[in-house]
Amino acid sequence: MTTGISKRIQRIQFALLSPDEIRKMSQVRVITADTYNDDGYPIERGLMDLHMGVIEPGLKCATCGGRVDECPGHFGSIELAMPVVHVGFIKEIKMFLDASCRACGRIKLTDEQIEQFKKRLSQMDFSSQDPEVIGLMTKRITDEASARMVCPHCGVQQSKIYLDKPTTFREEQIKVTPKEIRERLEKIPEDDLIFFGMNKSVARPEWMVLTVLPVPPINVRPSITLDTGERSEDDLTHKLVDIIRISQRLRESRDNGSPQLIIEDLWDLLQFHVTTYFDNQTAGIPPARHRSGRALKTLVQRLKGKDGRFRSNLSGKRVNFSARTVISPEPFLSINEVGVPEKAARELTVPVSVTPFNLDFVRGLVAKGPAPRDDSDHYTAGVNYIIRPDGRRIKITDQNSEENSKKVEPGWIVERQLSEGDIVLFNRQPSLHRMSMMAHTVRILGGQTFRFNLAVCTPYNADFDGDEMNLHVIQKEEARAEARIIMKVKEQIMSPRFGGPIIGGIHDHVTAMFLLTHNNPLFTENQTLHILSYIDLERHPIPEIVNGAKMFRGRDIFSSILPRGLNMQFRSKLCKGAKNGVCEYENDPKDTNVTIADGNLETGTVDEEAIGPFSGQIIDKIFRKFGSEEASRFVDRMTRLSVGLISLYGFSTGIRDYDIPENAVKRIEEISVEAVEKIDRLIENYREGLLESLPGRSIEETLEIQILGITGEVRDESGKIASSFLGLNIPAVIMARSGARAKMLNISEVAGMVGQQSVRGGRINRGYYKRTLPHFRLDDIGAPARGFVKSSYKSGLNPVEYFFHSIGGREGLVDIAVRTSRSGYMQRRLINAFEDLKVDETHRVRDTTGSIIQFTYGEDGVDPTRSDRGDTVDVNYLMIDLGKEGKK
Amino acid sequence: MKVLLWKDNRKNIANILRGGSLKYAVDFAIATHDLTEGYVSPDGKNFSLKVKITEISKYSDSPDLVKKKKSDLKTILTIESAVEVNPKPLSDFKLSSKGKKEVTDHATAELLEIEGEHLKGLIENIPANVRKIMDTAKEMHFELPLSVAEKVQEIRDGLTDSQFKRLMQRIKIDIDSKTIDPYEAVGIIAAQSIGEPGTQMTMRTFHFAGVREMNVTLGLPRLIEIVDARRIPTTPSMVIHLKKGVERDQKVVTSVIKELENTTLLDVSEIITDVENQTLSVAPNKERMQERLVNFDDILSALDSVKQVTLKPDNSSQTVEVKPQQESFRKLYLVQEQLKALTIKGIPGIKRAIARADRETGEYILYTQGSNLKEVLQLENVDPYTTYTNDIIEIATVLGIEAAREAVFQESERTLQEQGLEVDRRHLMLVADMMSFTGTVRAVGRQGISGRKSSVLARAAFEITTKHLLRAGLLGEIDFLSGVAENIIVGQPVTLGTGSVNLVYRGPKKE
Repeated sequence: MTTGISKRIQRIQFALLSPDEIRKMSQVRVITADTYNDDGYPIERGLMDLHMGVIEPGLKCATCGGRVDECPGHFGSIELAMPVVHVGFIKEIKMFLDASCRACGRIKLTDEQIEQFKKRLSQMDFSSQDPEVIGLMTKRITDEASARMVCPHCGVQQSKIYLDKPTTFREEQIKVTPKEIRERLEKIPEDDLIFFGMNKSVARPEWMVLTVLPVPPINVRPSITLDTGERSEDDLTHKLVDIIRISQRLRESRDNGSPQLIIEDLWDLLQFHVTTYFDNQTAGIPPARHRSGRALKTLVQRLKGKDGRFRSNLSGKRVNFSARTVISPEPFLSINEVGVPEKAARELTVPVSVTPFNLDFVRGLVAKGPAPRDDSDHYTAGVNYIIRPDGRRIKITDQNSEENSKKVEPGWIVERQLSEGDIVLFNRQPSLHRMSMMAHTVRILGGQTFRFNLAVCTPYNADFDGDEMNLHVIQKEEARAEARIIMKVKEQIMSPRFGGPIIGGIHDHVTAMFLLTHNNPLFTENQTLHILSYIDLERHPIPEIVNGAKMFRGRDIFSSILPRGLNMQFRSKLCKGAKNGVCEYENDPKDTNVTIADGNLETGTVDEEAIGPFSGQIIDKIFRKFGSEEASRFVDRMTRLSVGLISLYGFSTGIRDYDIPENAVKRIEEISVEAVEKIDRLIENYREGLLESLPGRSIEETLEIQILGITGEVRDESGKIASSFLGLNIPAVIMARSGARAKMLNISEVAGMVGQQSVRGGRINRGYYKRTLPHFRLDDIGAPARGFVKSSYKSGLNPVEYFFHSIGGREGLVDIAVRTSRSGYMQRRLINAFEDLKVDETHRVRDTTGSIIQFTYGEDGVDPTRSDRGDTVDVNYLMIDLGKEGKK
Repeated sequence: MKVLLWKDNRKNIANILRGGSLKYAVDFAIATHDLTEGYVSPDGKNFSLKVKITEISKYSDSPDLVKKKKSDLKTILTIESAVEVNPKPLSDFKLSSKGKKEVTDHATAELLEIEGEHLKGLIENIPANVRKIMDTAKEMHFELPLSVAEKVQEIRDGLTDSQFKRLMQRIKIDIDSKTIDPYEAVGIIAAQSIGEPGTQMTMRTFHFAGVREMNVTLGLPRLIEIVDARRIPTTPSMVIHLKKGVERDQKVVTSVIKELENTTLLDVSEIITDVENQTLSVAPNKERMQERLVNFDDILSALDSVKQVTLKPDNSSQTVEVKPQQESFRKLYLVQEQLKALTIKGIPGIKRAIARADRETGEYILYTQGSNLKEVLQLENVDPYTTYTNDIIEIATVLGIEAAREAVFQESERTLQEQGLEVDRRHLMLVADMMSFTGTVRAVGRQGISGRKSSVLARAAFEITTKHLLRAGLLGEIDFLSGVAENIIVGQPVTLGTGSVNLVYRGPKKE
């Protein structure tokens, strides 16, 4: 049957169509400017002639005998009464006319010049050389030829040719008709074509003036039957009707000797129609319109732009076997899994080839019909279609399933519904990096949504506020194998962007791990049992006897999910800023560093630095030392463990978290008053002209810089005061310090002061004439008038502050909108420029032409995904690891 | 050391090369006789032959002579040996007496061993012990990057030989396992790695960098600017270091700033046009003069360059009256315009320069608004090796493509780093290499890299679809379907990654 080697298109050559070729491939010469007759049957030699293909079921193609979907469509042709120029080649036609002799057709170069250029051109290969280079070369040659006003070959005086855009040529105030143009182009000898940048083996200049027009197959321009029974023709058909009609009238007028003026008018009209048939957005021509006033979408419009053929239908295609729905979280799934709702699973199928080995199994499957359930009324896969070797599909229903199951033979294909363990691709747009599309194994769940582990939110950049995601079922074994080996979530834990993990615990996972390990708390046996019941245990934590009761240490519980043999040491996020190795947030100075020896957490607090995405030191090291499987297992169990702990512990934040003592509130009020006064003094100084400007700045700018400095200082100061009263016993602070969510800045905005609002990096300085709001005096540039918010979110903002805050907030929103479009375009350009680069067998980077971009990829040949955060080797870690191994 | 330079035709050069020790008669007289080395060029530009001269004597005919010309011979050079060397451009020599023209004849010059020093420096700067570690790696059949070798060296002393050996083995295994896979689509990965964090960058164009008086474009706009290879950046600026020895000298700093800042007459003074008397009076503003480090004499000397006018300086009021010699309104107007644009001092393009002392070293560093690398490098007190501009195209024209590559890399890395985004340097290197490997800086986009792709379909799919298709018809272009976009368009597997290999299973042989 198949050899396993698929055919490939080797190459595609482009060329111009000659009139002869157009006629040769034409199946019918269209002469009637009409489509269907009164019975709704295609008119013979009309634009819907059956020779050009069929679009209606029941009819047969007159050329190939195929039915709808079988016949690929065939070209027809229109003989134009008079030649017209092709708009796309106007510039080239001008160039040909300019550079060739009007009498003899030779290029206006002396024989020596011809020799000289020939030598240089002979080194160029038109079919594969950079067209830009050829363009420059031909431009130089033709410019030289065009400048010559006497033909060096026949000595005839030349005259300048002007182009009246878009399609009319003029020579000494007299119009040059397309017919004359064609005659001149015909005279140009084949050997001269190379100087014009034309490949003589594929094109002739006179082919750029059309005498016969190809009519595209009906499949390309299908007519639509509306609900009312009315037929609506495609834009191209409309345009072709116009062309035929005018061409016919022109032919008649010419044949019965109408006045030259009328003929010329009709000729121009024909030129207009042919021009707009190619490109309806030609500059200088009003676009041809539909009856409704909508501009017609003709050939160029079909190809061009984001919604054109190339970008919309060829570079990206619609697919089957895919599903899309809302996503929601499910902490009990592994990061490698995705929960698929039953409804979707019943629609999505996997093709199973029937062989003698699986015949019985497949027959059983088919017999179960399209919606089977097992004994415990759970989902089990059924069959939607069976495909016979001749390609016919049979839909399986409850009624015919028994009968059809007997028909199935080896060689048939059975489309089985999705079942647990199948590998599917899961994707969230925008697909900005390769982790936006990863392979998961299927778990069939109830409900209506796709579900997945929260640790996978980061690579997809997903949240659950209504996000939807796509799922694709893989249809081929080869693809399935690649997906499993390369695209599986566990293989994508490491980001190629920075060589660290992009998958890790977020929000509550971080909080939970922090609570579990910070200051190594004790848990009772019951509590421990609850927490550990969420994970499958391999290593049991060893209890401590405290006051006669069996107690368990938080760090020991955490250690139970670490693999044996893991050795590492690092600084936790909590202690990042610790000076002299002493961390103010830890009771025990030893806890400044997180130490793990042989898979036991000995000191330190596990927080974002250890298990978070991007930083995730522990995940990083497990992945490197034990591989992807172990790393994904760690993330699975870590997320489960955190749910176990936090469901026991109970964790929430409320307005009370932000309570600070009365005197602290007062103190903050005082400093804000002080700041406002300070600003007022500055302004006074400025008004009296006492302010000295900074070098390179005007006095006004200097004032603004200094005021911004003061407002920044107060905000920081109030933050310091507020946070000095907010200790690690407060949930909001736990979240901020552990890196679970928010920053200390946000807390100080709630408890202390919101601070200066800004637009474009400066204070708010817009609105009314010389003031921001009518509540202020003209020229008031004091703090409150320019967006300084002295209140805290908790105490509430006054109306003016609220207004300024909204201005600042709006700027942020606008910024995001602008940014996404700008960075999106930058990425499209980057991808387009770099998509063809690949590493060869010797680690060189090459493009498709074989040019070497780098002699060793990245100077050391190391894959950034597997690098140590960009470093080739982490010597210090290797030393620790070697040392620990040595001790054993 | 003085060397002799001259031009000779290729045939003679071949003769010298072949000859070993020989006597060579040349057509010029040499004044100094202590020359021992010479360089010969076939084209007067690049010197590719190095000869060792043992004796220089007056010309006298003898049979064993190799002659440069048939007649007019003046000197005999006794050449002991000759070797072919990497062509040295004329700029590698410091010509002593004569101008460049004379080189076509002959000239004496000093060889500037910049290139040699630099190369030697690169290797010699590696400490011997670090090099030893790199050599050890070579013996173990792998390449150890310098950065890793340095780290190993730091801990080398604390290790026994067997521990060291074990460490090296471990490093070898580590590097082997990290080597990039063949056919990896490194381009796409790089593009994604730079594009993806773009959404997280700020749009705010202006930001304070180091010096708060100075604005520099940062964030996404700057990154786009870099990949666009924009002719002139939105905020060109330079970081100028001073030469060793003067880097802490306040006086030198002030004088350099004076040399740098481009100050026009309008910057420091009012120009009042008196139509009635047909005169212009220039009234300098003292404060602004002080700020710009200009004095009255500077203004006078600048005004001296204005032609066809009479100057009447008034030293007491510090003003100058300028009167065109020819009385006409037209002339008056022209002179007025000329005065407005009159440069008093400074380098074109540099609007401002601000000096900042480094807090730790006390070294003064100058930051400028505006950039003009070529001129600034020529200033006496400026250290040309460490002075920097953020204008990539300017670096390419002044220092060459390798410097431009480095600039693209550094600027993009700095931009991303400043935003707190971690992106592997390898991705940025690839972008820099791709933008510069043809020898000119090419933009990422349709005028640059994408517009020059070999595939018609890929170009058509990117931008300006129809233009490319129509051209392809005339040229008879062939699309070999070797890239990604074109293969997707025709619907077959791409040639990257697993798509670049075929796995064929033949099955067991039939008996």
